[in-house]
Formats: sequence, C-alpha cells, structure tokens
Amino acid sequence: MDTIVVNHISKSFGDKKAVKDIFFEVRPGEIFGLLGPNGSGKTTSLRIILDIYQPDSGSISILDGAMTEDKLNKIGYLPEERGLYQEVEIEKNLAYLASLKGLTKEQIDDRLPKWLERFDLTEHKKKKSKELSKGMQQKAQLIATLIHEPEIIIIDEPFAALDPVNTQLVKDLLIELRNQGKTIIMCTHQMNQVEQLCDRLVLVDDGHVLLSGSLKEVRERFSSNQVLLQIEGDLPDSLPEIENIEKQGLYLRLTLKDGTDPQELLKQLIERGVKVDSFEIATPTLDEIFISVVKQGKNGYEEDN
Amino acid sequence: MKKIISVSKYEYLHHVSKTRFWLMLFGLPFAMLAIFAISFLFSYLAFDKSPVGYIDRANLISQPQTLPEKQNVFNSTIPLLAYQDEATARADVENGTLQGYFVIPSDFQSTYTINYFANKQVDSDVTSDIKSFIHENLMLQTDIDHLDRIEAGSTISLQSLDGSQISDGSGVQRIFVPILIGLLYFTLVRSGSGYLLQSLVEEKQNRTMEIMITSMTPKQLMIGKIIGNLGVGFTQIAVWLVLGGLAFFLFRDRLAFLGNLNLSGSYLAISLLTVVLSFIVIAGLFAIIGASMSSMQEGSSITSLVILTTMTPFYFAATYLSNPNGLIPRILSYIPFSAPLSLSLRMAFTTVPTWEIVLIFAILIASIVLVFWVSGKAFKRGLLEYNKRLKLRDIFAKEVK
Repeated sequence: MDTIVVNHISKSFGDKKAVKDIFFEVRPGEIFGLLGPNGSGKTTSLRIILDIYQPDSGSISILDGAMTEDKLNKIGYLPEERGLYQEVEIEKNLAYLASLKGLTKEQIDDRLPKWLERFDLTEHKKKKSKELSKGMQQKAQLIATLIHEPEIIIIDEPFAALDPVNTQLVKDLLIELRNQGKTIIMCTHQMNQVEQLCDRLVLVDDGHVLLSGSLKEVRERFSSNQVLLQIEGDLPDSLPEIENIEKQGLYLRLTLKDGTDPQELLKQLIERGVKVDSFEIATPTLDEIFISVVKQGKNGYEEDN
Repeated sequence: MKKIISVSKYEYLHHVSKTRFWLMLFGLPFAMLAIFAISFLFSYLAFDKSPVGYIDRANLISQPQTLPEKQNVFNSTIPLLAYQDEATARADVENGTLQGYFVIPSDFQSTYTINYFANKQVDSDVTSDIKSFIHENLMLQTDIDHLDRIEAGSTISLQSLDGSQISDGSGVQRIFVPILIGLLYFTLVRSGSGYLLQSLVEEKQNRTMEIMITSMTPKQLMIGKIIGNLGVGFTQIAVWLVLGGLAFFLFRDRLAFLGNLNLSGSYLAISLLTVVLSFIVIAGLFAIIGASMSSMQEGSSITSLVILTTMTPFYFAATYLSNPNGLIPRILSYIPFSAPLSLSLRMAFTTVPTWEIVLIFAILIASIVLVFWVSGKAFKRGLLEYNKRLKLRDIFAKEVK
C-alpha cells in the first residue's frame, strides 16, 4: 500500500491555476523527490497533501485515507519558509512546537536534549532564534520536524543555509530515517542531493507532471548514445559505429550511430590494439535532465497555447 | 483539547512573561494613583480649613455645631464659631483667625437670607456647611417624630412587573458599577484582543503559522489563542481588583460610601457574562483581522475603530440618565461591541425587561457563531498569505470542490 497517493489534483487561486494536473504516489520507506522550478506548483501540492488547501479536483490519500488529526501528528513538515518564534529561546520554541504534535512533557524532556546534542545546539538552547545563524535556525527547524518521530517526513529544501559538514549530517540522518522505514518527501533544487538520496522522483512544472519514475529509470530514459573515452594515442580510422567525435579535455565524447551497442565498440577498440584507460557510457546528470525536460515542457505549453 | 490547552498556555505565558505586561499591570494603577494623589494634594493645599464665625440675631441657633470626633482629610468640616458682635468677628477675619463670618438677621424667618462677609471668594464647602447648620436648627424648631430618618431620605426600590429585575436605586451604584464594568471590558478588549491580533500577525510574519496549522485545525488554534488571551486580560483585572480591594481594606473607614453598594447577584452575573461574550465576539473579529492582514499597522486602524465602539454608551451618558429604555440605549445594547456597557448602564438606572436581556444574549451567541464561521474561513484563506492583505471577498470566495 502506498503511503501517499496524489490523484490528479488541481488548484486555482482566483484566475491563477497553481496546480493543473499533478499525480504521483509515495511508497513506504523511500525518499521521494518532488522536483520543479520555482512557481511550478510544488509548495501548493504539499499544502494540499497536508490538508491546508482543498484541491479543486482530484484527491489525496494519506496512510490509506483522508487526513485526520491523528495523521497530522504522524507527519513532520519542514516548510520552505522557516518558522520559529524570533523572540523566544530555542529550547522553549521547540518544546512548544513538539507539544503541538502531541508529545507529553516527559517525552519532550527526554527527546529534546538528545536532538539538541545531535545537532550541536545544546550550548545555544537558551538563545533566542534571532540570535542564531541561519544554519543553526535550519537545524532547530529540523528538530521541530523530527522530534515527534513522524512516520511521514515532508521536507522542503532541507539543506538550505547548511555548510558541507551539516549537509552531510542531515544526509546521514535522512538515510538513517529511511532505513528505519520512514517515508520521506523531499523538495530541493540541489540535484546532486537528489541523485545521492532519492529512490524515486517526480518533476513538475507549470502545474503539470513532466517526468516521474525511479532515479535509475529516469537516467536510463535520458541516456544518450554517447561514450566518454580516454585512450593512449590516437583513435584508429574507419570505426563505422561512430557518428561524431568531440574532444573534452583528456576525454573524447563519441556519439554512436543509432542501434550501435557501446559494448561492441569497446570490443573493436581492444581488438585493434587501442590501449583504453577509461570507457564510460555517458548518461546526463539530473541537472541536465531537469533543464532539458523543463525547457521541452515550456515549449510544449507554448505550442499548446 | 490537549492542543487547545497547549496553545492557550503558551499564549498566556508568552504575554505574561513580557516586561510590557508587568509595566501595564502595575504601571497603570500606580499612574492613576499618582494622578489622584497629586490632584488631591493640590485640592488639600488650596482648601481653607480655618473657622467661620457667625452672629445670630434671630436667636435661631439652639443646637451649636458639633464637629465629628475624628477630623481627617477625607472628612473635614469647617468649624462654625458663635460671636456676640460683628466687630469682633470682623477683627478676627482681618487678623486671619477666621476666613469669614455670616450674620443671621433678626428677620431671617421672613427673608431666609443670611449675609456672609469675607475678603475672598467663598468655598462651596463653606456654603454647604452653613446651609446644613441653618437647616438643622430650623428643623429643631418644629416637633417632628423621626426627624433623623426623615432627613436621611427614602430608599426607592425598583422592580419589574414580573418581579424578575430588582434595583435598589442606590445612588452611588448607579454610576460606580457601570464605570467598573466599562473599565473591565475595555481592559479585556485592549489587552486580550490586542495580544491576540499581535500574536497572529507575528506568527504570520515569522512564518510559524505554517507549522501551527499542520499540527492542528485552524479552529483549535483560534480557540486556544482566545482562551489564552482572555486569561491575560482576566489576570490584569484580577490583579487590579486585588489592589483595589487592598486599598479599600486599608482606607475602608474613609471610603465608607462604597460599603453601601447593595449589588444584586443577578446584576453582576448578567454584566460579567455580557462582558465575556462580547469579548469573545471581538476576539473572533480580531482573529479575522489578524488572519487577513500582513502587518500590525494594517490592522490597527480597524481595531481602533472597534475599541472605540465599545465605549460608545459613555458618549450618550445623558440619554441613559434621562431615558435608559430609550431608542439609543436599546440599540447600543443590541450591538455586541457596546452591549456590556450599555446593558450595565441601563440596569443601573432602570429595570430592563427580561425578554430584552434574553434577546441581547441571543444576539451575542449568534454573533459568536457567525464570527467563528467567518474567522474559520479567514484562517484557511489568509494565514499563509504572508505578504498580501486579504480582502473581504477573498474570505467569502467560493472554493470549488
């Protein structure tokens, strides 16, 4: 059973259609990437999932049904725009937000010091939010998201304002939570983080789904018929499988003719005595896929309009 | 319920722990006390306590003035000293022993006029004491039973035809209690609703709101905030009542007139219940304003207007005195913002029919339902509009399902 099912939702605000047709499902124990450029409908979709907004059409199923107060307690949400009381001490801030998620005083007293310690915030717990750096505030916000041990974690730009050390800390934590069976939806523009963390993803733009599937499926779908080759000496002439050769630093980017098997090319190179240092099937990065799909999508909308 | 308690507890402690709350809590009574003390000091210093002489040519005075056993600043009587001749009295005025003297002429019983001689304007306290003195001695000339009781006057008890509303007609109660009710109501609205509006706008500005409404329903959030802020207002009132009670206890012998407040339980209960219900209506309205605005400045003009309307009955005080069941007092009793003060004033001056009281409560309850319904919509629509002011039509815009 899928943890979250987003079933062809749409949502308008006045004349503006923020979400036109978005659909995807999130499976238990996976990190799911909800990707898209700014203004693509990601935040509105999240707010519909969280029952802040009602969809104009379509439906949401969360933990096998509609949202309830009990289910709200099972969700940890890190919104895009961070929210802590600026004039209140971090410890009090977090204790209050935890109590709103249904934790008792004893549970808060037990869990909060451990989380503060884990995020290296213990010595800052008496400081007001406004006295902390943006990175520290981000870590405090993550504690508010996770302290009630939610089953579903929805995080919007979790790495914003974090330095490399803290980015790694959060990445390790997300992997740990996934291994514990938690379901995680992550919105981010940092494609390298998506490549390292997400099991599956959906790419949305202009309120539509442009692309979805597992990371492997997506990359394979967009893999080009190219190889990156590093050899000693020159490439032999008369290799009929190659359509184009482009030099990129130490590498040669070879574009193969349609229907050519890269393994066949490698075999021929070795048979002809070429000393191959490196042979890599070139797949586009997620960044490249993102840009390409969004551009294609935009062209598509313009043609439709 | 647990979350409502969490929100109300946080709201309460958040505001009560602020320095400005304590400044308001003790600063206001002390400021009022200081103003009272300064004005009292000036009046006391300006008050001439030196005796006044009199020459009785009409042989009217059979009972010379008896001064109270204990003269104090709250209860001073000008000593009236008998003189045999006018020349001595005049000499004492000139040397400062007397502030003035009066002569009761031999034909007083036909003219009822006395002549007062002094080098300065006569104080009202002096004329009042002289009048009482003459009045007492005139009354002693006739043989009247129960003279003391007759002088004390009658107590008028007002009662509605169905016997449900009773007023003892006490003079002091008439104005003292509505003023107290008005102060209580004004404080609740200023503090409680003001804090509610402030906390909503703050949560929108610091973006905490998105966390809040993914942890509870907007209705739970609103109820929690209203209870918490109602608590802040009640704390202020409770502290002020304790301070007032303490002052009354310390100066009880000098504030004896306040001991005569013969307040009926139903009068107080109806007044207090109206205050609480009206506060909830206003708190709900402020919640709508808070959810619709993106800054305190945007909301302040509307909230000032609402706060102003709570005190409207005081602007029509003369109407309440002359015709407390007239059109204006009635209309103001039906408007939820002005109902507490209007009803309290009317009940102090007249008998308000039971059906009207029931109607006023029905209007208040209907207003609470309406305001909560609208604020629920405003919360849904406006709480996440961080940089945009929500218009009324946005609140009521139909959501396509």
